[in-house]
Amino acid sequence: MSSALHATDVAVSGRLEAVSLELGPGELVAVVGPNGAGKSTLIQALAGLLPARGSVHWNGQLLSRIAVAERGRRLAWVGQEALFEFAFPVREVVAQGRYAWGDDPAGVEEALATLDLVHLADRPVTRLSGGERHRAGLARALATGAPIQLWDEPVAQLDVRHALEVMRLARQLADGGGTVLVSLHDLRAAYRFDRVLVLDQGRLVGNGRPHEVLTAPLIRRVFRVEATFVESLVPELPKD
Amino acid sequence: MRSRLAIPALLALLALAFLASLAFGELRLSFDQVLSALLGGGDDIARTVVRDFRLPRALVGLAVGAALGASGVVMQAFFRNPLASPGLLGVSSGGALGAVAVLALGPMLGVAAATMWALPLASVIGAFAATGMVLMLAQRGAGTERLLLSGVALNALLGAGTSFLLTTTAGHFEVNAQILFWLMGGLESRSWEHVWMGVPPILLACLLLLPLGRAMNLLSLGEQSAQSLGVDVRRLRWQLIVLSTVLTALATAVAGIVGFVGLVVPHVLRLLFGPDHRRLLPYSMLGGAAFLLACDLITRTFPLGLRLGVVTSLIGGPFFLWLLRRPR
Repeated sequence: MSSALHATDVAVSGRLEAVSLELGPGELVAVVGPNGAGKSTLIQALAGLLPARGSVHWNGQLLSRIAVAERGRRLAWVGQEALFEFAFPVREVVAQGRYAWGDDPAGVEEALATLDLVHLADRPVTRLSGGERHRAGLARALATGAPIQLWDEPVAQLDVRHALEVMRLARQLADGGGTVLVSLHDLRAAYRFDRVLVLDQGRLVGNGRPHEVLTAPLIRRVFRVEATFVESLVPELPKD
Repeated sequence: MRSRLAIPALLALLALAFLASLAFGELRLSFDQVLSALLGGGDDIARTVVRDFRLPRALVGLAVGAALGASGVVMQAFFRNPLASPGLLGVSSGGALGAVAVLALGPMLGVAAATMWALPLASVIGAFAATGMVLMLAQRGAGTERLLLSGVALNALLGAGTSFLLTTTAGHFEVNAQILFWLMGGLESRSWEHVWMGVPPILLACLLLLPLGRAMNLLSLGEQSAQSLGVDVRRLRWQLIVLSTVLTALATAVAGIVGFVGLVVPHVLRLLFGPDHRRLLPYSMLGGAAFLLACDLITRTFPLGLRLGVVTSLIGGPFFLWLLRRPR
């Protein structure tokens, strides 16, 4: 399998210890772990947004050898916090995703529609709610058209319906050949991913298919909660 | 407001302020007289007044206003804080201290002959030192409080240095008067020398800034996301900090400390036309130039001999307080 993202012994002092992993095209991968486990640090290191030891390759190419603009075309990152100090209209924020493409506007309107932002497109981003801002950030990442998408807790602030839509979008991107890495707190949602990475105190302690990795003993050890597997209410998007 | 109208409207305002700068003063000239004086006609007195006194003064004022407006926009994007500006952060004070040091110590050290170039150079050095300190004191994305407090501390520190130089030269009336000029800012007796010293480099720095507007938009929404979207953030930050500091320093070198222009002008224009830096940069250059010339006109028409820096502060101070009270 050719890897889209390949990390070897990636470490950030005090936050991440020698993590190695490989993500392939078409893979939808969740990263879970308690607060402070290093999820955001790992995602930022993979995106090249943080000085880190070890090496990161994108499609077999060493990250430090890839020009900054080219990186913007190949990988999109959505941070945990959507920082918007200046009152840009939502459409403009999304269009910023096209910076690395010389501001060619392809895909901006589709991204707005996909994240249910069409009715907010002309509103200043500073007037949006936390969840709406987050969707604007996701739409911007989507507009980049980058095949590798790294989303840091994209659904933490979203309502049920929008959270499900974002999950469906992640699945669609992976089905289309993209590589999608998403950090999550909801272990039940993580169960629907192709693969789950578990971080604990900066170390990668689990990496595999959800039912193999997210076992009761591991959940007890890492999250210090008891997990029981029962049937419960499962919200779904309508089938239409 | 329609941004299509912005450039024509700002250009019209600037042209009006510029022509008024040439026409108004102790000798009141009509626009016809101004035009014929500019073209080399008219009577000798009008020609001398317009071409040797008012034209250089207006050109310096135009460049200083454009420089301060632009550097305000840049600092606000850089610190991701709409309240950042060269005056409040202490960069202007750094430039002034550099200039004052040359004025005060120059005669003793015998560099008076080189003063014409020593002054802007010292101003640039002083401004860069101040910028360096701001960068250490307030990290990017620092909250308003931290940013403004470090500006307060830096302004006090640099002000103390300037006061010290002022008292050491208390016996030399002429030197003292020159220093006061820097502290209160003004365009009196600006000559063609000042035009050549200040205007071309300011224009050059403004031209270099203009293509950075798009990247500044991305930077103003977070360094990491800008980087992830393909902006070379490290390079951009260097470009912005160097250009904005040079602009502030040059403005201070030719006109002394003129506060609040970099705060008021970008703010008003942002309220009117939105935050897009591709537009806000040129608008603030034109708007800053028009604003500065208008303030200079007030100093000339007001009987009490108001200083330019005093006028801009009288307008900018209350405006700033209003901004602070406004919910963001």
